[in-house]
Amino acid sequence: MEFSNKYILGFSLALCLVSSLVVSTVHVNVREKQIENAAADQKSQVLQVAGLLAAGEKLESEEIDAYFEEIEILIVNRVSGEIIEGADADVDSRSAAKTTAGGSDAPEVHAKATGVKRLANELRAYRIQVEGHECLVLEISGNGLWSTLLGYIALSPDTLEVRGITYYSHKETPGLGGEVDNPRWKAQWPGKRALNADGDVLIEVIKGKAKDKDRQVDGLSGATITTRGVNNMLKLWLGEHGYGPFLAKQRGAL
Amino acid sequence: MNKATKAILVDPLHVKNPITLQVLGICSALAVTTKVETSLVMSAALTFVLVLSNFSISVLRNKIPGSVRIITQLSIIASLVIVADQILQAYFYDVSKELTVFVGLIITNCIVMGRAEAFAMANPPGKSALDGLSNAIGYSWILIVVGLFRELLGSGEILGRTVFATTAEGGWYVPNGLMVLSPSAFFIIGMIIWVQRTLTPDMNEEA
Amino acid sequence: MAPLRKLLDKIAPLFEEGGKYAKLYPLYEAADSFLFTPGKRAQGAVHVRDGMDIKRLMVTVVIALLPCTIWAMVNTGWQQMAADSAHSVAFAAGLKASWQTALGLGALAFLPVYAVTIAVGGLFEAIFATVRKHEINEGFLVTSMLFPLILPPDMPLWMVGVGIAFGVVIGKEVFGGTGMNVLNPALTGRIFLFFAYPSYMSGSVWRILPEGGAVDGVTGATALGELVGHGDVAQLGYSWSDYFWGLVPGSMGETSAFCCLLGAAFLIFTKVGSWRIMTSCVLGLTAMTLLMNALSAGGSTEAIQGFLAMGPEWHLVLGGFAFGTVFMATDPVSAAQTDRGRWIYGFLIGALTPIVRVINPAYPEGVMLAIIFMNVFAPTIDYYVVKANIRRREARLGV
Repeated sequence: MEFSNKYILGFSLALCLVSSLVVSTVHVNVREKQIENAAADQKSQVLQVAGLLAAGEKLESEEIDAYFEEIEILIVNRVSGEIIEGADADVDSRSAAKTTAGGSDAPEVHAKATGVKRLANELRAYRIQVEGHECLVLEISGNGLWSTLLGYIALSPDTLEVRGITYYSHKETPGLGGEVDNPRWKAQWPGKRALNADGDVLIEVIKGKAKDKDRQVDGLSGATITTRGVNNMLKLWLGEHGYGPFLAKQRGAL
Repeated sequence: MNKATKAILVDPLHVKNPITLQVLGICSALAVTTKVETSLVMSAALTFVLVLSNFSISVLRNKIPGSVRIITQLSIIASLVIVADQILQAYFYDVSKELTVFVGLIITNCIVMGRAEAFAMANPPGKSALDGLSNAIGYSWILIVVGLFRELLGSGEILGRTVFATTAEGGWYVPNGLMVLSPSAFFIIGMIIWVQRTLTPDMNEEA
Repeated sequence: MAPLRKLLDKIAPLFEEGGKYAKLYPLYEAADSFLFTPGKRAQGAVHVRDGMDIKRLMVTVVIALLPCTIWAMVNTGWQQMAADSAHSVAFAAGLKASWQTALGLGALAFLPVYAVTIAVGGLFEAIFATVRKHEINEGFLVTSMLFPLILPPDMPLWMVGVGIAFGVVIGKEVFGGTGMNVLNPALTGRIFLFFAYPSYMSGSVWRILPEGGAVDGVTGATALGELVGHGDVAQLGYSWSDYFWGLVPGSMGETSAFCCLLGAAFLIFTKVGSWRIMTSCVLGLTAMTLLMNALSAGGSTEAIQGFLAMGPEWHLVLGGFAFGTVFMATDPVSAAQTDRGRWIYGFLIGALTPIVRVINPAYPEGVMLAIIFMNVFAPTIDYYVVKANIRRREARLGV
């Protein structure tokens, strides 16, 4: 069949119009639901690290929101450690860090060790006040062997003790570094000493079996690099260039 | 049912299976089959896209100018894929998070374009939709079988329910780490092809 | 042997065509030809140069493996004693008194692994031989000998079984059996185990730890597993000559470069193993290591810089390089077949090994992956060597 150029042009235009109409209608209709999903997913990770939710357990978004009534989202000035009142709680510090205004270069030692090259000026933390589960939840990230590990660590309100750790995104070797999300390994963390009174990082994953049970966690066997990655990122985020000043203020306030 | 319809319906399941005979759509078969759940959702998404794309391309087949044929097929397929992806993100958030880009990559899945070009452009809408459905089922059952093996051997579970208690949870089963990695899907698909061709020697190419 | 011969002859009709157990002929044939010289010899030009048939070829390899096998037992026992306080008395009493103990302890660890390999691998060989109606090939003698030698001593036995089953079926039988396989079956089995059960194969505790013994302070990590962490040979706790002689933790048969050298000498002397492949492997490794030494300042961490700067003499004796080069890379089926192809094939194995070892911290043992990778490329290399040859001859003729 022969078609005129006019027909072809018209056909293409009509096709584009119909396609884009269909796609955008669907998008507009489900967009809100998607954003809600992403937020609920992030929130349930926070609940998990605080020990309010077992791994793999699902909650309705109303239940999550009910918990979050008792969870305060803090936006913290990284350098001074002050809580910024009235700040936008939805800010994504990882992307903000990349902008000139929102972040600054990480010290070279840390940048080399964790692969985190930029640090945001404002960090997010969660203060959980659910009874029996009071803790502070901090965002952590850093390189493992293959990928950047993203996760949370929960500390006791006096910041000295670990309450839990979780990684929600990583691509480490299954069976080796991938064991960072093994519940049995994570179960070792609660109760370990995170910091001393001066804010020095005590918690550490060591190669082989932990010797100093107070502050050491068994290594992931065969995963030297992932293990080191976990240590490096804890040194960064719990240290003076990460949440250190904020944690010091929290200790002082008690 | 006449013979021709039956062939449209049955052939893609076995002797003309898109994965094991035509070796199309392998990329997603490797990437999303670590679990039965992801395999199922991926299969559903592909079925949706394939049936509708075959149907709508067949409806338009006499109106599509030859010079813009491929791009027309592509825009129809791409729109359907985006719709499927958006719906998954809204209603099956966890699974869509695990499927990552692979729902989007249905656009480049050779089965969809292949059926559109080879079948829908030359057959009426009813038959085309049927052809899309049977090809999607042919794709799906392979994905689900691969997913079954990989989830069972790789993490001791089926559909997230423990079948073999793993050592990490105090059981006896040591998960097979290879099954979590994509290449294991190659071995399993290879084995399925081996079984199929042993049962149906007609599928062998002439040496 | 005579009564045995008579027995075999007596039951022969049962297994021959039309006999009661004709289906099981391959089993009968295998037993017969392992025990006695086969009645038939290859008729065509298969592997034949002189009286050399596959059986003699394979038996030669098994003999070449003997030093490594004996050493596997001695060292495995030795490592166990070093870790065990109960044996520390014997350990301290000096080498002489301890050798026998070590050999005995090591045999206790090695023989079960060997037995499982023979049983499970042999079962699959037999099944395929029966179904496909071919004879069980002597090649399995070598495969079953190699496989336990490249496993760590603390490997659970069921994994050994799964591994050899995978090696035999996927590494060999799917391609049509001995002679048709693209990959070395023993190595395929090991790679399967490496990816399937990485925590058992990653080189962190490759020592049998005695029950109730002093576990604290025992490090049984292999050198390559450790070097990824710190990159400093001085921290290994063993000297170069320890690695050369092989008194270190590691996969059972591959710790001693010296025993591999003995095997290599025998293989080259009998012309069973290709000296071209062995030489070019060493050349490739040396060249690549020297290149990495020169570029070592570019490493992103101190550990990687140190590992990059490690000299070729270390790479030669660490891990499975010596064993792989002598016994795996030279496998006549999966290696390149042309002389020029063998040079290229071996050189690339050697060159890839340190790259995988150093640059990819997840895979401490590079030689295994390098060999299997080049196995895949061997036919391509041969193809181009032959093509080039044809072109050269055409040019000479002026076609």
